[in-house]
Amino acid sequence: MSRLSIWIILGVTLTFLIGPFLIVILAGASAGEALSFPPQGLSLKWYAKVFTVESFRASFALSMFLAIFGTLTALLIGIPAAYALNRYDLPWAETIRTIVAAPIIVPGIIVGLALLRYIVVPLNVTITMALFMVHTALVLPYAVRVVSSSLNNLRGDMEEAAVILGCTRFQAFTKVVLPNIRGGILAAFILGFVTSFNEVPASLFLSGPGVRTLPIDMLSYMEITFDPSVAALSAILAFLSVAIVFLAERLLGFSRYV
Amino acid sequence: MFLNRKEGLALALPAAFFTLLFFLVPVGILLSVAFQSDTGWSLNGYFEFFSKPLNRAVFWRTLKLGLLVAGASAIIGYAAAFCIVSLPPKSRGRIFGLVVLPLMISPVARTYAWIVILGRTGIVNDVIVGLGLSDTPIRLLFTETAVFIGLLQLFLPLMIISLVSAMENIPRDVIPAARVLGASWLQVFLRVILPLTKEGLVIGGTLVFTGALTAYITPAILGGSKVLMLETLLYQKVNVSNDFVSASVIAMILIVMSFTANIVLKRIASVRR
Repeated sequence: MSRLSIWIILGVTLTFLIGPFLIVILAGASAGEALSFPPQGLSLKWYAKVFTVESFRASFALSMFLAIFGTLTALLIGIPAAYALNRYDLPWAETIRTIVAAPIIVPGIIVGLALLRYIVVPLNVTITMALFMVHTALVLPYAVRVVSSSLNNLRGDMEEAAVILGCTRFQAFTKVVLPNIRGGILAAFILGFVTSFNEVPASLFLSGPGVRTLPIDMLSYMEITFDPSVAALSAILAFLSVAIVFLAERLLGFSRYV
Repeated sequence: MFLNRKEGLALALPAAFFTLLFFLVPVGILLSVAFQSDTGWSLNGYFEFFSKPLNRAVFWRTLKLGLLVAGASAIIGYAAAFCIVSLPPKSRGRIFGLVVLPLMISPVARTYAWIVILGRTGIVNDVIVGLGLSDTPIRLLFTETAVFIGLLQLFLPLMIISLVSAMENIPRDVIPAARVLGASWLQVFLRVILPLTKEGLVIGGTLVFTGALTAYITPAILGGSKVLMLETLLYQKVNVSNDFVSASVIAMILIVMSFTANIVLKRIASVRR
């Protein structure tokens, strides 16, 4: 194929994939009151307004909490699991793997509903706690997979050598293994954070008075008002996620692990 | 490899129990709801669900849109992946980065863009009215086309990524060799590229198809209650009509469809090779 046709095909594809964002960024920078494109004059007032909306601030805090602590918890139970699946001769290893990977295949909306009906209501668990459980379970498969792939690249005889030289098994893990899979753990954290922060279907039914994740809050705001603030907020969030991933790629070659 | 099984289990079981207790058990209970009736176990929930024309229509529409999106992304994906692979390494990396970029962005933001584009006062309608093709804005949102476009934009990157990594493994000279020996581009595609990238196509196809089946945001924003899909129907059944039997039936359909897609497509990939 000629160079020209290659660039035409790529240009059209990338315009389709990325063009809409540029439009959202501009639509959020409108000076007008209603959402429109091209924007009616440019201003940053909607970008500023986003930070003053009380519900956005509350839901942003909740989403941050879930993304950080959900992912940390997933790593706390996921790293040992990945280590055991990699280094031990485990009975039922396949079953454990399937169970841990299940949240990727089961559609999120079902999980949210199931937790609401059979955990939140009968056991009197708070919505926030239920959200925390769902987000942890959703991030867990990614944590196990990413950490596993970096364990695969680390030779098992290093820990054995450490044990022979007098380390306990636990010391061998903290002194030999952990420093070597640091990059993988950080990559898993970033992937988990972005996944959890952007999650919608599983959180859909898990919202109560004043308790909503940010994407859900944006969805309901959109239904009531038609001003450009959601466009501005979308643009800010898009920029944040891209910046996080870009930095991660620059600093540790993120894509090696994912 | 350590042989202490107890120690290994102690490390692995917390994760498995967490997912089992807080994820799989509640889902299992929800799925069992549709099989229960006053007189014991029965399939009445399913018969009742499929006896309603609206539910059947939504079921077929979801399947149809899933297949259409997977098919369209395969066609565009092959063209795009072929172009990316034939670029010099440096620009290949950059373009590939641009393809991956949207995956990092919230689906809400990604879908919201289409409201700006397809809405009553959106760009497309501005152009249509401006050119005098229509006196009043046309309804573009809340149509199947809008949902199709939204889903395609959401999941196309997954297909391109799978196909690019499959095509990178094609030996360099194979395609020129086939051309020199007289194969047309169609023959090159059908007899060289397709067989060598089948696995990537299958992986990409599964990801796109199951993604489209289980997407909530896109049909909710771009389809609304005019173009219901199974996920949005489930939401309505619960929040509008409090009908948990139907919700349980839909949940089962969604799970069965995404599991079957995973298994069937994996089998195709392994048999043909």
